Amino acid sequence: MNAGAARPRATALAVAVGLVLADSSIVVLALPQIYRELDTTVAGVTWVLVSFNLVMALCAVPAAHLARRAGPGRVAAIGLAVFAGAGIACGLSGHLSTLIAARCVQALGGAAAVTGVLELLPATVGSERRAVAVWAAAGATGAALGPAVGGLLTELVSWQSIFLLQAPVAIVAAAPILAVARHEAATAVLSAELRPPGRPHLLANLALAMISAAIAAALFLLVLLLIEGWRLSPIGAAIVVSVMPLAALAGARLGERVPSARARALAGAILVSGGLGGLALLPKAKIVLTLPPQIMVGVGLALVLSALTETALLGRAPQAIHGGWTISARHAGVVVGLLALTPIFTADIAQQRHDAIDAGTAAILDSRVPPLAKIELAQRLEDRLEGERGRVPTIGSAFDPLPSDPGERERVVELREELQDQLDRGATHAFSASFGLAALLGLLALVPIGLARRVEL
Amino acid sequence: MSGDRRGQLLVLGSVAAALLLVGAYLAAGGSSYEPAKTQDPCKHRAWRNPEGLQEIAQQFTLSALDGAACELGVGRETLARALATPEARERFADRYGIGDAELARAVRAGLVRAVDDAEEAGALSPLIADPLRSTLREIPLERAIELINDAEAIFDQAQSFLGPAQSLLESFLP
Repeated sequence: MNAGAARPRATALAVAVGLVLADSSIVVLALPQIYRELDTTVAGVTWVLVSFNLVMALCAVPAAHLARRAGPGRVAAIGLAVFAGAGIACGLSGHLSTLIAARCVQALGGAAAVTGVLELLPATVGSERRAVAVWAAAGATGAALGPAVGGLLTELVSWQSIFLLQAPVAIVAAAPILAVARHEAATAVLSAELRPPGRPHLLANLALAMISAAIAAALFLLVLLLIEGWRLSPIGAAIVVSVMPLAALAGARLGERVPSARARALAGAILVSGGLGGLALLPKAKIVLTLPPQIMVGVGLALVLSALTETALLGRAPQAIHGGWTISARHAGVVVGLLALTPIFTADIAQQRHDAIDAGTAAILDSRVPPLAKIELAQRLEDRLEGERGRVPTIGSAFDPLPSDPGERERVVELREELQDQLDRGATHAFSASFGLAALLGLLALVPIGLARRVEL
Repeated sequence: MSGDRRGQLLVLGSVAAALLLVGAYLAAGGSSYEPAKTQDPCKHRAWRNPEGLQEIAQQFTLSALDGAACELGVGRETLARALATPEARERFADRYGIGDAELARAVRAGLVRAVDDAEEAGALSPLIADPLRSTLREIPLERAIELINDAEAIFDQAQSFLGPAQSLLESFLP
C-alpha cells in the first residue's frame, strides 16, 4: 500500500476505534440530564451505559469471527453504518426503553466496526506491533476524552446531540474503509486465509476486565459526584474531568520509555487504585482536591490499558479475534463495575442526603436565630427538598431574603454556611464506599498481572 | 538506564505516589468528612442557661420536639420539618404510617416533657408547671403543634388555655 493512501486510512481506522470506544463513556456527563428529561431513576439511567457495554462484551468476539469470514473492510464499514444509524435513533429517542434499545444496536455496529478495523490495521500501518499500539492508543484516548466531549455537547447543545453528531464522524471514518471493502469484494481472498485462532490471553483479559471496572467507576462516580452532589453544570464537570485524559496523554508518553509491559501494567493498576483511594477519602468538597486523584487515575489508565492490550494481542493471530477478546473483557468489566456499584451508591446517596438534611435541620434548631425565623427556614427547606426529587438540594435560596437586622443577618448567613457544609459532607461521603470498592477492584487486578509473567509470558 | 531499571522505578514511584496521596487525604480528615451525627431524642439534654422569654421558648420547643420524636421513634429533626406545614405533616404521616391520634399523643407527651425540663431548669415554677401539664395533656393537636412552633405563646399568650394561671405564669418567669 502506498504511503499517501495509508496515512488517511490509518487515521480513519484510529478515529473509528476511538469513536466506538468513546461511546461507552461519552454519555456519562449527559446521564443527569437524561435522568431528568426521561423521568427515570438513577438505576434506570445507568442502563444507558450498561446496555451498550453489555452488547459490546457479548458481540465483540462473534463480530471478529464474522470480520474474518466476510471480510474486515466490509464488516467494519457495515458496522460503522449501523453505529451511525443507531446513533441517530438514540438522539431521536423520547423514552428510556427506546434509547436503551437503540444503544444495543449501536453497540452491535460498534463491535463489528472495531474488530474489523483491528484486522485491517496491521496492513495499513505496516506492522502488527504498530497496529496494536495505534489501536490501544485510539481506544484509551477515546475512552478518556468521551466524558469531556459529552459534557460539552450536553451543556452547549443537548444530550441528543452527542448521538446525532456521532453519525457524520462515523460516515467520514467509514469512507476510506469502503475502498478496502470494495477491494475485498473484487478479490475474494479471505476464505483461503482463515486459520483457527489461538487461545486468548486469559490473565491479561481478566486484568483488563478488573481495571476497566475500576476506571468506569472512577468516571461514572466522579461525574455524578460533581453534577448531582456538588451541583456543577455539565460543562463545569466536563472541564474538571478533562484532567483525566490530559494526564492519560502524559501517561502514554511515560509508558513509551518503559519497555516492560508488566511494569507498566503494575504501575498503572497501582496508580488507578491510589487515585480511586484518594477520591474515596476526599477531605473537603473542593474541586481542587479531585485533581491529584484524577491525575493518578489518568496516568494509570494510559499505562495499564495499553500494557494489558499489548500483552493480550502481541504475537497472537488473528488480531481481530484477540482484539475481540480484549474488547469483550473491557466492556464486561465496565458492566460488572456499574452493576455492582450502582445499588451501593444509590443507597448511600439516599442515606447521606437524609443524614445531611437532618444535620442541617439540627443546626437550624440549635441556632440562635429567632424561633419564628427558624420555622420559616424549616418550611422553606422542606419545600426545597420536595422540589429536588431525591437530589442533594441547593439551599441558598431557602435563606432569601436575608433579615434586615445586621445581627440576625449574620446568624442566618452562618447558619446557611453550616447547612451547606452538612449537605456537601453528605454528598461527598455518599460516594466514599463506592470509590473505595472501585479502588479494591483495581488492586485485585494486580493478581492476574502478577501471575501473567509466571504462567504465560 | 536499562529498561528493567526504568520499569522498577516506575512501579516504586507509583506505590509511593499512591501511598502519599491516600496518607495526605487521611491526615487531612478524609475518613471523617461526613454529616454531623444527630442526637438520640430519648436522651435527656440539659437546657443551656436560658436568658429571657425568647430563649426559654426555644429550649421549650427543643424539649417538646425531643419528647414527641422519642415517642414516635423518629429523629427530632425529621419531626421538626414535618410540623412546619400541613403538607409536610401529611407526607410524614404517609411515610411513617403515623395517624393523627398517634401524632397528637406524641406531641402532647413532648409538651409535657418540655414542661418537666423547664421546671427542672428553674425556668418554670412548680405552681405553674402542674396546671400546665394537665392542660397540655388535653390540648387539641393543631394547638399543640402551634405551641411547639411558637412556644412563646405558652408564656405570653397562655390565657386561652390557662385562663387565670396566666398572670401567675408571668410572675414566676425568671
